[in-house]
Amino acid sequence: MATLSQFVTLVSSDDFSFIVLRSAACLSGVIRRMLDPACIIFSHASLLYSVLTLTDGFVEARTNTCHFENISGMVLEKVCEYMYYNEKHRDGKDVPDMDIPPELCLELLMASDYLDSACPSLLHMALLTAA
Amino acid sequence: MSGRRNGNRIRGPQSALTDFLAANNISAAQIRDDHERRQREARNNGEGSSTAAGAEATPAIGEDGADEDVVERDEEEEERVRVESKKRKRKGEVEALEKIKKAKAGKGKGKEEKGKWKGKGKGKAQGKKGKKGDPDEDDDDGDSDDDFDPDDLGRDMYKKSRPLPGQFEHCEICSKRFTVTPYNIEGPDGGLVCTPCGKELKKDVKAEKKSAAKQPQGRKRRKLESDRLDGLVNRGAKSLQQMCIETVAKHHDDVEELGDMPAPLVERLSQIFSKQRVLKPKTLPLFLRPDLQSVVLHDAAYLEADDYKQIFAVVPNVQKLVLGNTCQMKDEAMEYMLERCLKLKHVQLYASNLVSTEMWEKFFTVMGGRLESLALKWLDNALEDESVEIMARECRNVRRLKFKLCRRLGERAVVAIATLPKLQHLSLQLSRDVSNEALISLVEQRGPKLLTLSLEKFLDADETLLSAIHDHCRSLQKLRVSENDTVTDAAFTSLFTAWPNPPLVFADFNATRDIDNNNSDGPLEDPIGLGSAGFTALMAHSGQALKHLDISSCRHIDIVALSEAFCSPDAVYPALEYINVSFCSRVDTEVVEGIFKACPALKKLVAFGCFDVGAVRVPGSVVLIGVPRAREGIEQFGGYFDGGGEGMQGLEIGGMAVEVSA
Repeated sequence: MATLSQFVTLVSSDDFSFIVLRSAACLSGVIRRMLDPACIIFSHASLLYSVLTLTDGFVEARTNTCHFENISGMVLEKVCEYMYYNEKHRDGKDVPDMDIPPELCLELLMASDYLDSACPSLLHMALLTAA
Repeated sequence: MSGRRNGNRIRGPQSALTDFLAANNISAAQIRDDHERRQREARNNGEGSSTAAGAEATPAIGEDGADEDVVERDEEEEERVRVESKKRKRKGEVEALEKIKKAKAGKGKGKEEKGKWKGKGKGKAQGKKGKKGDPDEDDDDGDSDDDFDPDDLGRDMYKKSRPLPGQFEHCEICSKRFTVTPYNIEGPDGGLVCTPCGKELKKDVKAEKKSAAKQPQGRKRRKLESDRLDGLVNRGAKSLQQMCIETVAKHHDDVEELGDMPAPLVERLSQIFSKQRVLKPKTLPLFLRPDLQSVVLHDAAYLEADDYKQIFAVVPNVQKLVLGNTCQMKDEAMEYMLERCLKLKHVQLYASNLVSTEMWEKFFTVMGGRLESLALKWLDNALEDESVEIMARECRNVRRLKFKLCRRLGERAVVAIATLPKLQHLSLQLSRDVSNEALISLVEQRGPKLLTLSLEKFLDADETLLSAIHDHCRSLQKLRVSENDTVTDAAFTSLFTAWPNPPLVFADFNATRDIDNNNSDGPLEDPIGLGSAGFTALMAHSGQALKHLDISSCRHIDIVALSEAFCSPDAVYPALEYINVSFCSRVDTEVVEGIFKACPALKKLVAFGCFDVGAVRVPGSVVLIGVPRAREGIEQFGGYFDGGGEGMQGLEIGGMAVEVSA
């Protein structure tokens, strides 16, 4: 298979697309697993896009695109900003905190909990998407 | 006369009024000069200075209120637009007019001044005006012509000077009319503001100053250490969750509801709110949702009796209830809870001192077989031994039991607890004396099934207890025997030698030592407390499965045992995550380095009072707390590990050791 593209696309529920570096996006365990061509599990992203594949892994891995039906555009934008902020300051000390607008922080908290969740079990994901 | 004076000035057109004045021997120019001189003086004396110099504002041309305002504004505009001389002339004209009026009315000087202070009519914001109609002064002021300063005049023209106390002025912010006092402050554009707006401004300024104020020295270092104690590593950027939680905590006043947040996040938020002491009746509803199964509030100190009822009303299906600092919980709240919450299984109440003993007994009776775990701390006057006996009789399904700092419990409680058939986790810290026999009988009866046994501060428990544990406990995972000054090292050794119990996961033997001021090193031949032999036996028995190890204040563990345990080349403890070696004076740098090498999963190493620990390389994943000689903080070097890919990178040997020697 060809080498992995350097950039991936994250699409929000209201159809905003964000093209980010793969290395930054893979900060999130969920995204990393979605984009990993070696993973072979029933895709969870949404029922419209779900394809049970036995060979190539997720649809997301082939198209290098992840759809998030439960994350809005504004929140996803902040998430992408955080990914770059994290990458930039990976080894730094006394890093200044990223600015988080209070209006957004609750949704951002839920999104970050979703994206960092370590266990991509089907039930877990289904519950989250249903939430 | 006028010709001389007007020699070096811009000559503007003479108005009819000026002519008229001249005809009455009043010089418009001279009036102008007086005015300018006084303005300059006023500026030099600063704002709001006393106006005893007798300045006064011209009562306006007989208008009031809005008209004056309009006139004022018009005049300002006109001032800006017009040529200097014209403006001066205008001022002069008005002054002259007023002078005429006064002259006509035949008022004396004194009355004029009084009139100024009463502030009749709108103050014309021209600053101090000269006393009119004083011939002596006129002559004196004539000399001031030579002090003519074009810059001053320019400034005067465009700057609106401060009205005197007693006059009316419009507030810059809210445009309300108010009486000027010496205490009114200036608004952002230079004009005066009324008192309420002034208070607001002052508050803003104060808030700004507070936030910009220099932090006391050492605060940054303290914050660093505090974060480290909480486990927040200093390295790299904070996680997004962490930052969001901090933002929420900062703006806790504005949060209205938490929406659909998953339960673990709600719990984390409630922890942060409790830590910052903002869990109040106002913010309480955020954490109560009808669908929740557990309510966890670690600091319920601000909640009042009705709030407890609210909790039980909103969340009737609660199964797990954890409330800390429940100082205000009363009997009625507990009644209500017993009525409403029929699914309640796990109860943890700390410091609920207003609940009476009868209520506790009723609680046990009503809950009966429903109760599966109970944790009570800090009960001073309620909960007697009899209550525990009732509990043992009624609540036969109790699996988890924790009684700490319950002052009234003693031996009979222990005897009663021993009869609970399903007990798996037991944690006791009692103030009253409990005989060894009771403890032994407890261990004998419940030992085989016990998973957790924590006996703190049983000062007189001796080796018979440990041998009972050795003989009867077969499934222990967590063992804590702390703050004891009777058990000898030999007893510990025999506990861990040839013990059929599987390896412990949690071992805590802190403060097992004998404190005797006459013999400050403790008996050296037969050491009391966990010593070298005991420690070695412990590590031999449980080293492979141990996750949490606490040997603080075990002063008889010597360097040989520590080195053997941690520094020998094949020592590996794959599960150890937390080690506390505080106040073990023999721990030194080598031991610490050995610990880092031997424990790949280590997260936290607590080493208060270990004075021999010096410069040490700390791997990136470990938090090292409490080393007394760390000044700038011990530098952390080591592998950075990628979140999902390669797993933990090893410890880079060859990094620099940094330490600021004391």
